[in-house]
Amino acid sequence: MRLFDEVIAAVSAMFPPSPDKAAAYDEKLCAAPGDKNAILFRGDTAYELGGSGKISVCSVLFGELPKKADTVCLYGPDLSEIDTDSAFAHVTFIQLRENAAEDAYYEQLKQVGFTVFQVYPEGYHIRVSPSAGKEQVRVSKAALRTAEPLSFMNVGCSLIREFKKHPDVEYVKTVFITKPDFDYRGLSALAAKAREITDAFRHTLESGELDCAACKMKPICDTVEGLRELHFNREDKKNGT
Amino acid sequence: METKIFAFAGKGGVGKTSLSAAAVRILSERYPEKKILAVDADPAVGLLTAFGVEPALTLDHVRLMIAESIDKGDTSEAAALLSEARFHLLDCITEVGNISFLAIGRPEAAGCYCKVNAYLKQVLEMISGNYDFVVIDGEAGIEQINRRVMENITFLVLVSDGSMKGIRVISTINDVSKKLVSCKRTGVVFNRVTEEFIAPADMGLPEILAVIEDDQAQRENDMRGETVFSLPEDSPLYVGTEKALFLLLGVENDAAV
Repeated sequence: MRLFDEVIAAVSAMFPPSPDKAAAYDEKLCAAPGDKNAILFRGDTAYELGGSGKISVCSVLFGELPKKADTVCLYGPDLSEIDTDSAFAHVTFIQLRENAAEDAYYEQLKQVGFTVFQVYPEGYHIRVSPSAGKEQVRVSKAALRTAEPLSFMNVGCSLIREFKKHPDVEYVKTVFITKPDFDYRGLSALAAKAREITDAFRHTLESGELDCAACKMKPICDTVEGLRELHFNREDKKNGT
Repeated sequence: METKIFAFAGKGGVGKTSLSAAAVRILSERYPEKKILAVDADPAVGLLTAFGVEPALTLDHVRLMIAESIDKGDTSEAAALLSEARFHLLDCITEVGNISFLAIGRPEAAGCYCKVNAYLKQVLEMISGNYDFVVIDGEAGIEQINRRVMENITFLVLVSDGSMKGIRVISTINDVSKKLVSCKRTGVVFNRVTEEFIAPADMGLPEILAVIEDDQAQRENDMRGETVFSLPEDSPLYVGTEKALFLLLGVENDAAV
């Protein structure tokens, strides 16, 4: 199933031609793991990404990656170059080894997608609101004071390592955006569309709804080829054709 | 340092909040390098008021947000809901110097508090480890002991005034806590008593940590709407609370913990 191809294309088109930093995944680059229940207090925080009313966007998109490799990319200043609360976006693209069929594919998306809630690098306090598609990060003063300050490459590698623990995951590209002039609102709208697609997918699987005239998900299904396919497959199954 | 959790319990109107507030102030001033969590577990929200703190969000707000999203048909898995709760939890914590304030809030719907109490218990288990001291100003009565909100604490401080009613409440809490609470030490503070007060000897109460006379300075402080930081250090409430704290901690005044 290919649910997110249009969104992936639109998101990719928003990025500048080349990132400010990029690195291939290397386990040695992973950040030291922190405690999942640790609170980074304001007094110990250098700044907050996506906090203090600044926009933040978070999205995990599944599809075919043009480059068959695990990579971390950054558009904008790195952690040690930021000194104030800033707008922030984090998008992760995932290519699965093999897309399972329908219900099993939904399980794959869910299980793999949850990984973003389970990475806790030391000095990088992440909090994610799945319903709002927001990711806010408090970065500790201590993590930036060392000879080798924490970087997005470290955080990205930690995230990729977690994703790669899933046997279904083939390639991961994780992208951080801190550029002040980036179109965060445009990206936020695309991330919202990705969430709507996932909701419509779940709705079709769970409700068995096949009457488009009565279905609230029709507007989103009409724009996604994969959802239409799913609908017709289900209809064929129901009709025994 | 292992987190030390103080929980104040007793009948309504005996001064639990004043004692909790004084305890938070004393700990924050004596140990400025330590982190303190002040938990207002009383829906009356008096502890935060004693510090002039207005929470942007309470635990009940967060619980309702999660419950509403489920009611609206969000069938997200537990991992997503937990992440959502963690996201908002940080907004419930108001940091002032070395003190973090957290309020349970006042459930807007009529009815029991068990859902928000259950949530408070989970939150405390999750975040207490970030702090050196946690001070919980408990809800009046025995509900939070029964609901095991205060299941794992270090010190249980039973607060009563001189009335037989107040003493019976702490006696009941003491009995129930022996079965339902894991705590290192329990003590009693008699608060707002007259000079003639004699502590009852035949009720099987735990050790008496302090006996605090009716505190005029504290009453005036309250009437002026000033915070607990304005309370004179020689006021009976301050002196009595300090004595109770250091007895429980097993340290001399000013000694390291």
